[in-house]
Amino acid sequence: MRRFWIDTDTASDDAVAILMALRTPDVVVDGISVVSGNVPVEMGTRNALYTVELCGKQTPVYSGIDRPLLREPSYAYFFHGPDGMGGMNYPEPAGAEDKVHAVDAFIDAVRGSPGEITLVILGPLSNIASAVRIAPDIADKIPMCYVMGGAAACLGNMTPAAEFNIWADPDAARIVFHSGIPILMVGWEHCRGEANLDDDDMAFVRSLNTPYADFTLDCNESAIKTNREWLGDPGLALPDPVTMAIALDPEVCTKRGKHFVDVETISDLTRGMTVVDELGVLNKEPNIEVCWEINIPLWKETLYTTLRDE
Amino acid sequence: MTKKILIDTDPGVDDTMAILFALRSPELEVIGLAAIFGNAYVDVTAKNALHLVELENNHHIPVAKGAAVPLVEPPRSMGMHVHGDDGMGGINLPDPDGELLGIPAAQFIVETILANPGELTLVPIGPLTNIALAVRLEPRIVDLVKEVVIMGGTVYADGNASPVAEANIYNDPHAAAIVFNAGWPLTMVGLDVTLKVVMTKNYLDKLCSVGNPATEMIRQVLPFYQQFHMEEYGLNGDLHTHDPSAIAYLLDPALFQAEQIPAFVETVGSCSGQTVLDRQRQLGDFKEINVCLGVDDRSVLDLFWERLTG
Repeated sequence: MRRFWIDTDTASDDAVAILMALRTPDVVVDGISVVSGNVPVEMGTRNALYTVELCGKQTPVYSGIDRPLLREPSYAYFFHGPDGMGGMNYPEPAGAEDKVHAVDAFIDAVRGSPGEITLVILGPLSNIASAVRIAPDIADKIPMCYVMGGAAACLGNMTPAAEFNIWADPDAARIVFHSGIPILMVGWEHCRGEANLDDDDMAFVRSLNTPYADFTLDCNESAIKTNREWLGDPGLALPDPVTMAIALDPEVCTKRGKHFVDVETISDLTRGMTVVDELGVLNKEPNIEVCWEINIPLWKETLYTTLRDE
Repeated sequence: MTKKILIDTDPGVDDTMAILFALRSPELEVIGLAAIFGNAYVDVTAKNALHLVELENNHHIPVAKGAAVPLVEPPRSMGMHVHGDDGMGGINLPDPDGELLGIPAAQFIVETILANPGELTLVPIGPLTNIALAVRLEPRIVDLVKEVVIMGGTVYADGNASPVAEANIYNDPHAAAIVFNAGWPLTMVGLDVTLKVVMTKNYLDKLCSVGNPATEMIRQVLPFYQQFHMEEYGLNGDLHTHDPSAIAYLLDPALFQAEQIPAFVETVGSCSGQTVLDRQRQLGDFKEINVCLGVDDRSVLDLFWERLTG
C-alpha cells in the first residue's frame, strides 16, 4: 500500500482531490491536515470531514494554522462559493476533527514512518512551513511531495505574477521550497484550457451516476461558473485534482525538469511569484522539479477511475 | 504566590547567569526551558540548558529543543564569537544526565500556557522564533498567557548586531514582528536598560570567588565573554547585564522605568531588526508594548548578587 498525507485548504477542488486519494484502492491516507486558504480553517476542516465521510472513510482530519505566517488572510469565496463548496450547503459532518493540532500530527506521522509517507499539498504552505521550522529533521523523512501551487510559466490567477496558494503565504512557500523536501511543483496552468472538464466531459461524469461523480460536479458549481465568466475557459478547472492525479500516477506528468525555483516575498507587484531559473542563469543548485506538461486524457481517466463504482 | 515562568533561551553566557538567577529566586517557579538557536546552534544550547537545570538539582524542570534557524530568512550568524563554540565560553561541559523533552519547543510552549491559563509568564531571552511559531500554532495563547517579558530590542541605545538592531531581534526580525504585533502584554527589556547595568570587573571577581555551584559555573564561562567585551567595547573586564536584567524585571518591575508605547519591528532592508517606537502612530496602528527606558542599576546588581550568593 502507498501512504499519503494531504495538506489542504478544503474547498471544492480540494474536496475532489481528497476523494480521488481516498478512493484509490492501493493508497492509504494517513491524515488530512487543514490550513487557512480558500476558506477559513474551521470551514476547510468541516469540508474535509464531509468529504471523508462521503467516501465512507475514517481518515483523521486535523485542523491547522489559521492564517499565513506573516500576512493577513485572504480567502477565495468568489471562486468556491460562500461555503467553499459551491453553495451546496452540505449537512454538518457526523464526526469531528481530531483534537491534535495538524502540525503536531504531521510531524508525528512523518517521524513515525520515515521515508514512507508521500505528501500532497493543495493549499497555502503555512502548515508545512511551520512543521519544517519546528521539526527540521522531517525534511529528510519525506520521500516525495507534490505541490499544487505556483505558475512556472508565469500565469497568475491572484495577480498576473502569482498563483493563489503561493501568493497567500509566500513566506511559507519559500521555506518549504528551500527545505530540502523533494518537491514536484504542479502549477495552476495545468488545469486550464483542454485540461478543463468541458461540457462533454461533465456529461460523461454525470452519466457515471455515482455519488462521487455527482459530488465532483455539484460542489464545483460556483467554480464552473466563475471559471467560464472570469477566465472564458470551457468548463471546470481542477488544479488540486490534476496534482493529485500526478501523485497517484506520476505518468500523468509527461515533461518535468529540476530547476532552481525561488518565491518572491519582498515585492508587492510580484508577491508569491514562483521564479523558475529554467536556463540556470543564477547558477544555483536546482531545488524543485517543475511539471511542464501533462497527459490530459490520462489525467481525466485517472479522475474518472476514482468516480466509478467499484 | 510564586510567578510561573517559562524561559526561552539560547545559553549562552548571559543566559546562564539569567537562568541561575531565576532558579535561585524563590518568587519564581521555572516551569520549563525552551532552547533556541542564537548564541550557538540549537543542539548546543539545548544541551547547555539541560546542564543548567541539573547544576543545582533542578532535574525536574523539562527542557524542550526549539527552532534551528529563523522563521523565514536564512540564519545571519550564530553568536559563537561572543559565547564560545560551545556557547559556554569554551569550557566543554560533559554531557548532561537527562534527556530533552520528546516534543518540540513551540508545542511545549503552547501546552504549558494552555495548562496554566492566565498564570504563565513567558520569558524569551533569545531570538523569538519559538514564540512566533507557538502563536501561529495556537493563537489562543495570546489571551491565555499572563505576560511576555523579553530581553531584546533597543530604541535609543546603539544596536549590538547592527547600528540599529539588538541581536535577539536581528537574528529573527520576522518572528519578533509577530511577537510585537500579537496583542499580548509585552515588556521589552532591551539595550536601553541592559547597557546601563554594568557588572564591574571587581563585582565579577568577588562573585566568582563565592564558591557555590552557580558562581563556580559563572566563573568558568565568563573569561571568553569578558574577552569579547574587552575587544569589542573596550571594557576592562566589566560586563553589560543583558539577560539577567529580564529576570530582575520579573522579580521587581519597580526597578525599571517603563512606558506603554506603540511599537513595531522593521523586517527588511539595512535597518532590519530595529525596534521602532511610534508614539503618534504615524506609520500604522501598532500594538502598545511596555518599553523599559530607565533602570535602577544599583538595585538590579544588588538583587543579582543576593540571589547568586545566598
